[in-house]
Amino acid sequence: MSVLKINKLTKKFGKLTAVDQLDLTIEEGQVYGILGPNGSGKTTTLGMILEVVAPSSGSFEWFGGVENVAARQKIGAILETPCFYSYLTAVQNLRIVAHIKKCGTSNIDNILKQVNLFERRNDKFKNFSLGMKQRLSLAAALLSDPPVLMLDEPTNGLDPEGIAEVRQLIRDIAAQGKTIIMASHLLDEVQKVCTDFCILRKGVKLHEGSVHEILGETNVVEISSTDLDQLTTTVSKFEGLEKLEKENGSLKAFLKEGQSSDHLNRFCFDQGIALKKLIPQSKSLEQEFLKILKEND
Amino acid sequence: MIRAFTLEWLKLKHYKVFWILFGLYLLAQLIITNGGIFFLEWLQSKEIDIEGIDPTILPIYDFPDIWHNATWLGSFVKILISFIIIVSVNNELSYNTLRQNIIDGISKREFLLSKLSLILFLAGVCTLVLFTSGLIAGFMYSHVTDLKYVFSNMEHLVAYFMQLVVFSLFAFSVAMVIKKAGFAIVLIFLYSMVFEPIITAILEFAPFTKDYTEGIVKFFPIYSIEKLCGKFYESPFARYIFQEIKEGPLWFEWIIPVIWAFIYLTFITWILNKRDLKS
Repeated sequence: MSVLKINKLTKKFGKLTAVDQLDLTIEEGQVYGILGPNGSGKTTTLGMILEVVAPSSGSFEWFGGVENVAARQKIGAILETPCFYSYLTAVQNLRIVAHIKKCGTSNIDNILKQVNLFERRNDKFKNFSLGMKQRLSLAAALLSDPPVLMLDEPTNGLDPEGIAEVRQLIRDIAAQGKTIIMASHLLDEVQKVCTDFCILRKGVKLHEGSVHEILGETNVVEISSTDLDQLTTTVSKFEGLEKLEKENGSLKAFLKEGQSSDHLNRFCFDQGIALKKLIPQSKSLEQEFLKILKEND
Repeated sequence: MIRAFTLEWLKLKHYKVFWILFGLYLLAQLIITNGGIFFLEWLQSKEIDIEGIDPTILPIYDFPDIWHNATWLGSFVKILISFIIIVSVNNELSYNTLRQNIIDGISKREFLLSKLSLILFLAGVCTLVLFTSGLIAGFMYSHVTDLKYVFSNMEHLVAYFMQLVVFSLFAFSVAMVIKKAGFAIVLIFLYSMVFEPIITAILEFAPFTKDYTEGIVKFFPIYSIEKLCGKFYESPFARYIFQEIKEGPLWFEWIIPVIWAFIYLTFITWILNKRDLKS
């Protein structure tokens, strides 16, 4: 069952088209990254599927057709700045969330312990530091143990330790089989935590696919041995070789289609050379991202 | 509706500002509706008389006149109830919690219902307090305590309740448009206590235009609300001097505020659906 199906969703602000005919399908269990530079329509898209921004046209469907309000009660969302009643305490604020999500208040203490706010549970929200406010919004999102978690720039404004914590948390939650939808402008972040992703630019979807696929191995292998000159002459005779480049004390072998690093390794071994280094080079999302942007220019 | 009211209750029960404003309102209402006897005693102590009568023998607490007297007096402090509504609605917009609530899982309709339930609750409590304090004052001072008279002219209480509800909906509409609470309060104060009364007074009483414009004043938002319990110059106490006063709203004076209530609700719904809630 699809968690979310977006169909030709469009949002216009006057003359500006923020999101243009967006189609998207997110399946259960995916960690889905919506990747794009600032102003590419990520937050507007999230706003529309949460019904706080009215779409100009198009439609979307949660959980194969569950009514939108009921669907939102099954989604934990953390969007940009944490929003709570400043005159209420952490517990009082979470009671409101529990009431809205119809999930009961018995889990509040546990959740507050989990995000490390239990000691401050009876302090007013207005006295919280930014980090504590962010942790409270995390607590609110996790309170109902939702099957879907939605995050907008989850590591924005956090220190390196906080970033590592949030990423670990996303992986932990994903490991429980939950679906995660996140918007980010950080390639590295999407590469590290997402299973699937799409790229948005100026509201248009440029690419969609699995992270693993796009990050597969390249046909380039970095090799070296004790005697680099001997290696160069030998490898040049390798039939599966397309091109050979010398770089920083090692060689870069570009292999032909259908050839892989183990073929090369066996060939060298048969020629009596033991390789000191053999590194198949993998793609980085950054290279692919730039490539995709270029293709679409 | 219970779910909507519970949501509102969770937001307000620990909110000091709300309890202070609500307490002040009830206190002001109590003083103005039940303080009459002290005023009359003060007049007596100054040896001021009304048409040759000792003021303290005026039957201001007599059943059923007390209901008309008290609701007319109570309307003078209704501006205070709009402060509560403005603060409550304004919080949702300035803390961005309206957006957060919707993301968490309510509809815009439920949000409207939760505020409406608050308005009905406040107006209900105020009317109930006025009724109770009226009963107590009446049984203490009234020359008539026959139950038939005690519970007659109850339409004044219905009119009072309606006045508070429609006025609160007016404040709700203003708060949805004007996002600064202080500015919204000043605006409501100026419009309902200064601008509209002056405009309607001119339309109603100016010698040259009166014949043409008299008929339209009853459609004005505040004028129609105030007509429910009598305009400030339609004092029920005039009955003690002239013997003749207007009792209760006419049929169209009931209908016009109801129409306004629908206009306010439609307007708020329209704004909620149209506006994008951005952070």
